[in-house]
Amino acid sequence: MFIYNKKLQYPVKIDKPNPKLAKIILTQYGGPDGELGASLRYLSQRYSMPFDDLKGLLTDIGTEELGHLEMIGAIVHQLTRNLTEQEMRDPAFAPYFVDHTASVYPASAAGTPWSATTMQVKGDPMTDLVEDMAAEQKARTTYDNILRISDDPDVNDVIKFLREREVVHFQRFGEAVQLLREKLNEKNVYYMNPAVDL
Amino acid sequence: MEPKQVENNGMNGRLPAMAPLANPYVPFQLENPPKYEARKGLVRGTLYPGLDLPFMGMINQHELPVTHKSELQALGFAIQELALYLDTHRDDREALELYRQYQNLYQKGAAEYEKMHGPLTHGAPGQGECYEWLNDPWPWEYAANKEA
Repeated sequence: MFIYNKKLQYPVKIDKPNPKLAKIILTQYGGPDGELGASLRYLSQRYSMPFDDLKGLLTDIGTEELGHLEMIGAIVHQLTRNLTEQEMRDPAFAPYFVDHTASVYPASAAGTPWSATTMQVKGDPMTDLVEDMAAEQKARTTYDNILRISDDPDVNDVIKFLREREVVHFQRFGEAVQLLREKLNEKNVYYMNPAVDL
Repeated sequence: MEPKQVENNGMNGRLPAMAPLANPYVPFQLENPPKYEARKGLVRGTLYPGLDLPFMGMINQHELPVTHKSELQALGFAIQELALYLDTHRDDREALELYRQYQNLYQKGAAEYEKMHGPLTHGAPGQGECYEWLNDPWPWEYAANKEA
């Protein structure tokens, strides 16, 4: 089960509201390479993972991603507080405002609602771990791009933290591939699917 | 058969010498790698200098304010980072020992924090007359992060 812990993993303190920037950051809430997809991907892949160390890793990284989802939600929330009438009417924010007011809805920066079609749970440990490595890289690039666009130091402080977590997670998934390889046929790692055939 | 291991200098990583084709390889982080202390680790987003790979020199270098909450966030972060390390290095006794030290510090820190600021979880033993769980600010709000 999951238990709520009433604090963030890393502080989010955004002094200056900026709804235009909020719409950009939102993509890491509900966009194609965001934290919602990350957590659901890893937490769903656990069920067909036959090895204890890799079950643990998927659980622990998936759980951390839920914490990151909350941090992204906190950034979007704080960037959209105390909206002025002018900010509501801004053509860059008005379409979001009319549908969601100043709330946090899982969608991409372009407004596409979150979709499970952005992730995969294939049920083959090697395939799933390689997907996870790619997912961490896609999220890292998204954070790189946010750092290029945003000049808000309070936002970038948090984004740098989240970006670095992607690097660490990539390392761990890479090590997980090695741990998996050691459990497979050493001449042919694709001899069978250990989730089905062991 | 144990695969022969080679170290790649200074990067704290190890690749198998005989690597089957058509499969991805990430160097395995060597045991007992250099570490930042917990507060610096939280600011940098990793406990490990070898994994600290910032974008275009954009590096968080500020000091965290010394509060119960930031202390707890730093300790919680060290535990999380060591947990992920131990998930792939389950036989590293030194990392396990450090993980347990941080767990002890976290438990003490959480009890201190909860005395001042109310429960972190429903499992925390309650104090006083009222149901403190509901009290503002909630973690995502600006007010909850003002001093930390």
